[in-house]
Amino acid sequence: MLESNRREIEVMANLLSSNDTQAEINRAFFRKSQCLAINIIGSPGAGKTTLLEKTLPLLTKSLQVGVIEGDIFTSKDADRIATHDIPVIQINTGGGCHLDSKMVSKVLPEFDWNAMDLMIIENVGNLVCPADFDLGEAFKVIVLSIVEGDDKPSKYPVIFRNAKAVVLNKMDLEALTDVNMEIMKQDILAINPHIRIFEVSCRNGNGLSQWISWLNQEVLNFKDQNL
Amino acid sequence: MHEMSLMGGVFEVIEQTISQHNVEKVLQVKLKVGELTNAEPDALQMAFEAYSKDTICEGAELIIERVSVQARCRNCHQEFNVKSMFFLCPNCQNTSIEIIQGEELLLESLEVE
Repeated sequence: MLESNRREIEVMANLLSSNDTQAEINRAFFRKSQCLAINIIGSPGAGKTTLLEKTLPLLTKSLQVGVIEGDIFTSKDADRIATHDIPVIQINTGGGCHLDSKMVSKVLPEFDWNAMDLMIIENVGNLVCPADFDLGEAFKVIVLSIVEGDDKPSKYPVIFRNAKAVVLNKMDLEALTDVNMEIMKQDILAINPHIRIFEVSCRNGNGLSQWISWLNQEVLNFKDQNL
Repeated sequence: MHEMSLMGGVFEVIEQTISQHNVEKVLQVKLKVGELTNAEPDALQMAFEAYSKDTICEGAELIIERVSVQARCRNCHQEFNVKSMFFLCPNCQNTSIEIIQGEELLLESLEVE
């Protein structure tokens, strides 16, 4: 009988290592450019682009802002942002359910980084897949619309664990739904006690000023830390 | 379905590994997947079959070991299992905790001939 050459090779390699390596290169680039980069994540229809549209005109009074728009096929979101005279680059993932660090690195040379203060990366609409892929951002922000239901934080804990802030949008619809805001906030804080929660309505503008002044402050803090 | 991208990572590592060893066939691939990741075992299996077709991994067995979430309290240093995703020290109720296990996405080993 032939001797079997069956054997085990120990590997212990991180499956995300090529993404994580590029993400660290992106992060170093943002730091060198003294530009705060944030990764906006939320389901389709949560209001990510609308939040940007409401936020940008108020932010850009004091800051230079750029936007990277992730979308599976279209440039609809980027077109909406471009009407605000903001430098915006579209990444089409061509079916992919999340952005990765290599896609982001490819579009970075298209911006003027001399005076850029804030780079907002809007991920593909999806609460699951983007959570595992570091883009090199300083932190993640979740946009969750309250009409998605108060069970969503506990059903998607990974992203809530990994985000610095969550914007709860469509608060103007609270009275029309059965959503329990206390449970929603309690669950979010149980998963991540340090997360900042903003309750806003992009439709009527309520709560946006707190979110915007927090984001402004984060930009200043980032610059202080990376002088 | 980001499991396809994750599986791309698996095959990058497999190719690198077998190029350094004399391998005719890969018989088994062992992954370690933490519960604090969004990788879904069934989707990984499907992605594995798609990627391994017409390669020396075709027909290999994919074994996925799920790793539970373990944390250590930064206050009292107690180590505990995080259940139902409530990140709170059961001993002193502190919320400042460090995750020590459950975030891994690893290719642990290959069985080859």
